[in-house]
Amino acid sequence: MTATTPITHIVVVGGGSAGWLTAGRIAAQHHCATRKNIKVTLVESPNVPIIGVGEGTWPTMRSTLIALGISETTFIKECDATFKQGAKFAKWTTGEQDDFYYHPLMLPQGFSQGNLGPYWQTVAPDLNESFSQAVCVQEAICEAGCAPKSIRHAEFAGTANYAYHLDAGKFTTFLTKHCTENLGVNHVLADVSQVQSADNGDIKALHTQQGVVIEGDLFVDCTGFKSLLLGEHYNVPFVPCDDVLFIDRALAVHVPYENAQSPIASHTISTAQDAGWVWDIGLQSRRGVGHVYSSRHQSKDDAYARLDTYVRQTSALDGIGSLNVKDITIQSGHRQRFWQNNCVAVGLAAGFLEPLEASALVLVELSASMIAEQLPANRAVMDIVAKRFNDTFSYRWARIIDFLKLHYMLSKRDDSAFWRDNRDSQTIPDSLKELLALWQYHPPSDKDFTSNNEVFPAASYQYVLYGMGFTSELGAHQQWVNADFAGQQLMQNRKARAMAVEKLPQHRELINKIHQFGLQAV
Amino acid sequence: MTNMVAINNKEHAGLKVTNDALNLSANQHLVPVVVSELNKLVVHYPVVITKLDDSGQFGLSALLGFEENENLFWQQGQWDGVYIPAQFERLPFYVGTEPSNTNAQANRVLCIDMDNSSVNEQDGSPLFDNMGEPTSYLVEKQQILAQLLDGETQNQRFIAALVQHNLITPFTLDITFENESKTSITGLYTIDEDKLAALSPHAIADLHAQNLLQSIYTLVASNAQIYALIDKKNKANKNADAWFQTTN
Repeated sequence: MTATTPITHIVVVGGGSAGWLTAGRIAAQHHCATRKNIKVTLVESPNVPIIGVGEGTWPTMRSTLIALGISETTFIKECDATFKQGAKFAKWTTGEQDDFYYHPLMLPQGFSQGNLGPYWQTVAPDLNESFSQAVCVQEAICEAGCAPKSIRHAEFAGTANYAYHLDAGKFTTFLTKHCTENLGVNHVLADVSQVQSADNGDIKALHTQQGVVIEGDLFVDCTGFKSLLLGEHYNVPFVPCDDVLFIDRALAVHVPYENAQSPIASHTISTAQDAGWVWDIGLQSRRGVGHVYSSRHQSKDDAYARLDTYVRQTSALDGIGSLNVKDITIQSGHRQRFWQNNCVAVGLAAGFLEPLEASALVLVELSASMIAEQLPANRAVMDIVAKRFNDTFSYRWARIIDFLKLHYMLSKRDDSAFWRDNRDSQTIPDSLKELLALWQYHPPSDKDFTSNNEVFPAASYQYVLYGMGFTSELGAHQQWVNADFAGQQLMQNRKARAMAVEKLPQHRELINKIHQFGLQAV
Repeated sequence: MTNMVAINNKEHAGLKVTNDALNLSANQHLVPVVVSELNKLVVHYPVVITKLDDSGQFGLSALLGFEENENLFWQQGQWDGVYIPAQFERLPFYVGTEPSNTNAQANRVLCIDMDNSSVNEQDGSPLFDNMGEPTSYLVEKQQILAQLLDGETQNQRFIAALVQHNLITPFTLDITFENESKTSITGLYTIDEDKLAALSPHAIADLHAQNLLQSIYTLVASNAQIYALIDKKNKANKNADAWFQTTN
């Protein structure tokens, strides 16, 4: 193989959601099912269990499913999937009973024309409406238990923006079938036993216990925390960020609904505890509930007791004694580089942060689409693509860390060392400190985020900042917003909110109808 | 309000129906239609595909106006057109069901809406003759009801074929009328003519064999009636303007 020989064979190692999403995305982009220029092979151990991280997604999942040629109806039926319209954060700011805010998935009303933040801040004392309620329809939709769309909406269309909650295990099974049957991905069940190098340090081939030798031009490491190729073979260092994000353990359970027609929440519910928080994700057949916590601040027994109390309070169950409790260790951080030689890591092999804001699957999607769309033509250009990939994702991981930290350091909770430690200046990244220093006098706005590679838009920062009671000291000498414009936008939102809640069906009702009738493609 | 009653020639021997059965029902801008009446509908009406409220499934409708409750064919208590869609023509009759003693399936029975103002014992067409036999009027209504019943299955076959070949496409009607008023109607679907033209010979032969091809082209042809409907609206607007001027 010379430097200008075309790249034709991509080998994905690992059969979790990261592996299949990446293999499928590349195969769909390059028409592997119909043209034979590019071949994608996914090699998966028949023995290694799938971790199945992430039941929460971002709205990006809609474009990913479309890119993979998947029907939304089939996806919802087969993956126990439901509609997610954002996250509700309870008890994060003060810890009181009535303490909650929303991070919805829709931009504030009129976002492209003007910034409503400073206006809302000024009128908020008289308005008696939270920021997300005043500028967006989605908090009202979620609180009313409504779906983001009706049965008359086409697949992937809706009144409100949405992502999904899904069963990661079922999703992987579904993707396996779709990628092998419809997208032309070649599936090999074997355990990699040895990595064979070429003279330039590239991976030449993978040898397997089953005797199969798989040669390839580009290897995608989706082997989970093991990071077989990038970590073990190339020794690319792991950069922990547990000095910023303290969460390192999780206890997870599946909580049954009271009955088959129980309402399904259309948002992730995240409830802060004294040394972490509880996630609560409503699927069709069950809820996924888990307590993530900092083992430096809390014992496993105490964490178990918190989860037990939460489940007792939110279900008909008498605690979690009868449930299978999964104990998960989380290592927050990521590899120093993601693409080395002819090997790129996606998913847990690249890194993992705690589940707050569901960053796991979205990073997989972003990585898979960049690899698919910028697939190096040959070895000569691969290092350039690799450098761009590394720059892009170093930036993205750092921004996600900033954004997650924001949720903790804005808290006013003083009931435990966990929350106090989270506000310790030593634990806050400089990039986040700089933004907060700016926002002390400037209202947070779209202008503060200038990269093409932003993960969270300025609106997301606004929802969290204002949701957690942050205010800027707005001097009267600068005109930050046109009050007439802002007043009109709030009025429009109030109307849109009332109409949406009136017209949209209940979440469970829509799921039932999708099973009965299906959504139309148009 | 409706008050459905199963018809029989003893209790309803003297019942008559006047010709204003549509009075309370005519004011709607879409009316469900069946494939078997497409050949006649095409003379007056644009036939569009719409989604049913409850299920999101596709159905066929004739477009009668440009806003809710506007039926441009209903003029001063008269239907302005030689063919009246079966869904209107059958009024005040309905098909009801009653439990059967002999088999598990419910029996279909002919019902009449006793609350419809056209139903009385003095004026109009009698349902039964002196011998208690159905009159030709009633037989005709029964035939229309049978056509609508059969039409449900035919419509489903027709729609399923359109979906299978990806022939359904959404469209929005953006219209500016002569008096500068504007309207925009969404939620309408029709047949994608480009995709229809690009169908493989095999697909065309298949649609033909299922006896669906002609209906597809008739539906496409009916789109041209949108211009006639706009013309009706322009005339209605002019009449309204004229009325406004004379009364001021």
